[in-house]
Order: sequence, then C-alpha cells, then structure tokens
Amino acid sequence: MTALTLPARPEQDAALRPLPWRRMAWVTWRQHRMTLAGVVVVLGGLAVYLWRTGLGIHQAWAFIVTCHPANSSTCGYAAGIFNTRYVPTEVTAGLLLTLTPALLGAFVGAPILAREMETGTFRYAWTQGFGRWRWTLGKLVPLAVVVAAAAGALSVLSWWFFAPFFAENFGTPLAPALFDLRGVVYAAWTLVAVAIGALAGMLIRRVVPAMAATLAAYLGLALLPGLWLRQYYLPAVHTTSNNLPGFAWILNQWYTKGGKFAFAGVQKSGTNAAIEQHWCPNAPPSETLGQCLSHHGYTQWTSYQPVTRFWPFQWIEVGWLVVLSALLIAATVWLVRRRAA
Amino acid sequence: MTIDKGDNGSTGAAGESPPGAGEVTAPPPRSASQIEFRLDPASGVPTYLQLVQQVEHALRLGYLKPGDQLPKVRDAVASLAINPNTVLKAYRELENKGLAAGRPGQGTFIRATLSQVALPELAGLRKSLLVWLDAADAAGLDEDGVVALFTSALRDFYKRRADQAVHGRAASDDNETEGVA
Amino acid sequence: MNMKTIIDTEGLGKRYGNSWALRECTLEIPAGHVAALVGPNGAGKTTLLNLAVGLAEPSAGSVSVLGGHPAGSPAALDGIAFVAQDTPMYKNLSVAEMLHLTRNLNRFFDQHQAKARLADLGIPLKRKAGKLSGGQQAQLALTLALARRPRMLVLDEPVAMLDPIARHDFMATVLTATAEDGVSVLLSSHVLAELERVADYLILMSRGRVQVVGEVDDLLASHRVLTGPAAEADRYTERPVVHVSRAEAQAHLLVRATADDPVPPGWEAHPVGLEELALGYLREPVAVSVPGPARGRHAEPSEVSR
Repeated sequence: MTALTLPARPEQDAALRPLPWRRMAWVTWRQHRMTLAGVVVVLGGLAVYLWRTGLGIHQAWAFIVTCHPANSSTCGYAAGIFNTRYVPTEVTAGLLLTLTPALLGAFVGAPILAREMETGTFRYAWTQGFGRWRWTLGKLVPLAVVVAAAAGALSVLSWWFFAPFFAENFGTPLAPALFDLRGVVYAAWTLVAVAIGALAGMLIRRVVPAMAATLAAYLGLALLPGLWLRQYYLPAVHTTSNNLPGFAWILNQWYTKGGKFAFAGVQKSGTNAAIEQHWCPNAPPSETLGQCLSHHGYTQWTSYQPVTRFWPFQWIEVGWLVVLSALLIAATVWLVRRRAA
Repeated sequence: MTIDKGDNGSTGAAGESPPGAGEVTAPPPRSASQIEFRLDPASGVPTYLQLVQQVEHALRLGYLKPGDQLPKVRDAVASLAINPNTVLKAYRELENKGLAAGRPGQGTFIRATLSQVALPELAGLRKSLLVWLDAADAAGLDEDGVVALFTSALRDFYKRRADQAVHGRAASDDNETEGVA
Repeated sequence: MNMKTIIDTEGLGKRYGNSWALRECTLEIPAGHVAALVGPNGAGKTTLLNLAVGLAEPSAGSVSVLGGHPAGSPAALDGIAFVAQDTPMYKNLSVAEMLHLTRNLNRFFDQHQAKARLADLGIPLKRKAGKLSGGQQAQLALTLALARRPRMLVLDEPVAMLDPIARHDFMATVLTATAEDGVSVLLSSHVLAELERVADYLILMSRGRVQVVGEVDDLLASHRVLTGPAAEADRYTERPVVHVSRAEAQAHLLVRATADDPVPPGWEAHPVGLEELALGYLREPVAVSVPGPARGRHAEPSEVSR
C-alpha cells in the first residue's frame, strides 16, 4: 500500500562517523568574511595610525636622546615639546587600543550566534548533518583565534609605539593603563572578548542587545585586573629601602613604629600633615616625610612589584584569560546543545 | 533523416513524403502517455476514482487503445500534485477491473477495452430512457430530482450486484431502498 | 534496515514556562506516507515538528525517529531534512553558495540533482538568496533538502506564504520525490482544502493535543454524515456521534460509522470529505479518534458525544 522504495544512496549503519572538521572551514569563512574584512580594516587602520605617529615619536625621541649638552635650553625645550605634543597622542593611542578588543568582541563575537537566532537560520543550520554543537565550535574557535592573533600582531606594533615612553621613565610597564596593551596579553584579551560576545549572543539571541551586553561585560572584566587582581599575581616585595629599583610598580606605602602599623601614605598632605607638624615642623621641603620621620623611630615600608616580573605577569594573565575563554566557549556550546526552539 | 521544410507538396518536387507519417524524426515527448489526467476538486468524487473514470472515458472515446501506456506515476504526480498512492490505487482499481496491467519496471498499460454495446441496442436503451424521463417529468420530478433518483437507483443496483457476487444468492425481489429525497 | 515507523512518540510533551504547548502525544507515524499535521494556530504543530527534528527538547515523554533513533541524534540529523516556516535562508549567500554550504554540512548531497532541479525551476545560481521571490526561496529550500536524499522530509507550513502556482509547484516537487525516491513526508498546515489529494495520513491537533490520527482512507471510510430531522438528532445513539450541526428543521451528524452500518429511517447518509471531517473534530475539542486495538496501546477509540 505504500510507495516506499529503497533510498537512492547506500545505507548507513547506526554508528555514523562524524563529518570532518575541515568542512566548517569554508562555511565559517563564507559566512564571516565580511566581518573578518572589517577586522582587517579596523586593525589595519589602527596599525597605520600607530606607524605614522610612532615614526614621529621615535624621531623626536631619538633627537632628545642624542641631544647634548643634556641640560642646554635646546635639549630641555625638545624634551618639553615631546611631552606636550606626544603624550596626548600616547593617551589617544592607548584609549583606542583599549577599546579595540571590546569592539572586536562585540562586532565579531556577538553576531555569530545572535544573528542565527534572530533571523531563524539556526533552524536550517542545526538540522543539517553536521550537528549543532560541532557547527558552533567550528565557528567560534577559528574566529576567536584568528581575531586574537590579528590583535596580537597589532600589539607587536604597539610595543614599538610605546617604547620611547617607557625609556623616558614615563611609567612602569606594569602600570594598569598600558600593561594589557603590550606583549602577549593583548591577544588573550581579544580572545576573551570574542568568547564573551559569543556567549552573550547565545544568551540574548538578538544582535544589537548582545553587542551592547558584550561591551559592558568586557569593560567590566577589563577593569578587574588593573584595579585589583593583577597586583596579587605574585606576592609583592616589601622593603624599607628608599631606593627602589627602576620602573617598579609601587602598590602601597606605609609607616610602622616599633614593629606595628602606624599610618599609611607618603605625602606630606592630608592626615599626614598633622603628623608632620607634630614631628617635623621645621623640615625643609626637599626632605620627604619618610626621611624626616626616620629620625623619630618611624620606618617607611613600600610594597611593590619589580619590573622583572613583567613577563611572568603577562603569562599569568594570559593563562587565566585563556582558561576563562575556554570556559566561556564551553558554556556557549552547552547552551547550544541544550536549547534552541 | 532530414525533414523537407520547404515546399511541401508543391508542383514538380520529387515528392518526399510529408514528415511525420509513421517516421519519428524528433525526440519523443517527455510523457509517452496518450492521455493527461486532470482533477476536478469540487466534484466530490474521490481523486483516485476520478482518474479511473478518466481512463475509462478515454477508452470509450478512443484516446486510449489496448497496449497504450498510462501516465507514469511520477508524471501524474508532478502535473497534478497528488499523492502517489492515489495514482497507484487508481491503477490497481483498473487492474481489478481487468482494464490495465502493470509491467514491472516499465509502467502500466491498457489491457482490454470496455465492453462495447452494439449500436442498435444503444439506440433502444436511449429510447426507453426518454420514455421514462417523460413519465418522471409528468410526476413532477425536476432535473435534479431525476439525477438524484437515478444515482440512488444506480448505486443500489450495483451494490446488489456486488452482494450477489459475494454471497451467490438469487436476486432478491424488487426491494428498492427508500430514504431518497 | 526496513523501518516501519518514521516517527514514534510516547507521551511526548513540551512546556514553555507554565503552559504546555504539547501534551501526551503518542504517535506511530508509518513510513512511506505523506502525513499531514493539521490544526489551528497554536495547536502545537510547530512544537511537535521542532521536537521531531531535534530543535527542541521534550519536557515529558520521548520521541524517536527513523525506526528508533533519538530525535536530534547524528543518525536522525542525517536522515531527516527540515524546512522551517518561512524557509529561513542566508540572504546574502548566492544560490550556488547555499548549495556549497549544504554540501559541506551533510554526509550526502546530490549536487547534480540539485542543479538540474534549479535549472528546471529557472532559479539562477548566481543570484543572492535574499533576492529570490518567496516561491523561489521555498523551492530552493526544498531543493537543498531533497538533494540530501533524506529518508524523511519535514515541512512546517511550507506553502502558507506562496501564491497558488508556487504552491502547486512546491507540492508537485515534494510528491514527485515521494514517488521517485520513497521519501516519507510530514508536513504541517492550517489550510485543509488541498490536503485531501496530497495526504494519505492525517494527524489532527488542537490545543496541544492530538485529536485524530490515522490513514486518510481509513478515516474517511469510518465516518459518515447523517442528515435528518433536527428533532431526532439528539435521539440518535446507534453509532458514536462526533459533531452535530443543526438548523431549525434539519441536522447533520458526523458519526463514526461505515458504509455498511444501517441508516435510520428518514435519514440520509453521505460520505465525508477530509475537510468536513477535520472541521467536525476541531469543533469538538474533546472528541478524539486515535488508532484502536491493532496497536495495543489504546483499548477503544474514545470520544465524547455532546
């Protein structure tokens, strides 16, 4: 009574071998090539900006370094010009570079899943033979890695860009503002941004709200190490010495007396002003509070992270960022497996 | 084989026979069948029955002859957008009636013609029908009433026939079923 | 492997929040049929289809496909092709790229057949999918689905948005695939009129429950409409009554009876069409007609007469 005939292709047995991952390569490329082109344009534009302004900075810096006599008016003038002219550029570049991973996460990561959910194309994609969680993984991982690598390439350029400022003793490389723009950690921040975007896309299922949520979540996360977490990567060094190694990242300073904590701070202002008045009313301005109080039994303590820990800190941060990225991607895949319609 | 597309039968031409007279010069049409089905969705008749009736009608009118192939199931489905089982059911019904036979792998072919009624008999039947119609008209039956009465009697007649065939009983006496508007 | 049932559900249910979109759905849809899933909007048709193709997880019960594979498993994904409502498509991919995409994502893809079909339909390979007309998009989705040579085709309201010609062509393509390759079809629709010539298996749903299930031929053979005096309508008890529609003098009873069952004096019996049958049941949400003892699952077809 039926029109059933044998299907026109060979029967498969119950245990089907999964389709090879390389099938996703073209799929991911074709569906996201505009996005990737956009990434190239944005990062390329930034690279051009860094290159051109960086050349100017390096030239000016080279002039200052070779300028002698060092305390002549010309050299001093050049140094002054350097500060007024190029420090704002440095700040601008820093800002752009800080925002870039957030934008990459929002514009690359969020739409991967959110667009499929919003347009309903997941009803096509997830009923094909490839399987939905493998499809997800086959998109997320390559995209995240490629974009992170591109950002990593840019951070090589930004290392070169910021070099004069650090030679100038402008600040410590461990300083929060610039630590995550240089070295290997920039790529890892981009990786986690894309992962955040993907998870937000799957949770929120609408492209624009997911992008907004990604920006917010990433910026919240990015503040965390600088403000609080990074200083604890390795135990800080405590010293009573007044001569700190160069480029040290100073965390805290306080005073003890007789082995017990007395008060915090190093300036001659605020609450310390009263103490200074009490103990060193006649101290010359050139003398620091610490030098003055040391005669009265106070010991000045400093906790800091030496600059030699720059690379260990970079790798520690890369480590937990990569683990976090993996967890976020795993959570995204778990969500994909669990729910859809 | 060339086709003489030029003057066809003009004077002086050394008379090449017109193309198509028993020669196949063009590729056969996609559907090799002689007839094409159509559907009347508003007729109230089940689809498969419509197909059966169309085949029988084609046989009567001479569109189909024994040996002709009926439309392939696939072609009928493609042109009518009907369930293939419907076509299969229609062809099975035709097989049951002895009108068609399936050849595995080739299709379904006409096997026999409908029994022909001789012309004089047809004329006689027609005349008695007209007499009956006069009587029905005199009794006050309108056209639809005639159709309803006739259809009901027809159904009962063939039903009784089928019952007799099944139970092998002698025809029961005139016991027309009531219940007809 | 010769599988008998294409979709097998056992007490299947799906809940969204606090409301059940589908409840206590127990079906055994046989292979080799064109099964129509019919019901008003909100009846649970899309939910059932989503569960069958693995897009949704059951809240209760289970569903297996293609002779025992869990819905959504690799074997199920391999053997079932799904075309969702409004045929979602990647709008900025060309038709050729959609072919390439589908080929990459599936174990088997008959590129040749797909291209031939698209050429027949006059759908240019270079055009972007978003620029195709509604009918062309539907045909493209169907072509992609059929080129995978699935054992089963699942279609969610495939022709709702199509004009009559596109509708006819679409269904002709589906049914030709059934005729040629033996593909089983499950399609949902809320338009009854054209189903009778297309479907040979019916699943009627209403308010999240299955009301009627069975082969169309069996259902039509086992129901009649009795027309008679309205005054006697309530006194008829010989056969189960599904639905009564009455006027002042005349009433029609949709009853579960065959052509052999006796007709009470003064009444007329008519065969019933699929649309009339479906409407009769839909107007009586409590009435059900699900398969009887043959399957061993339900003792008697049950319904409630008014």
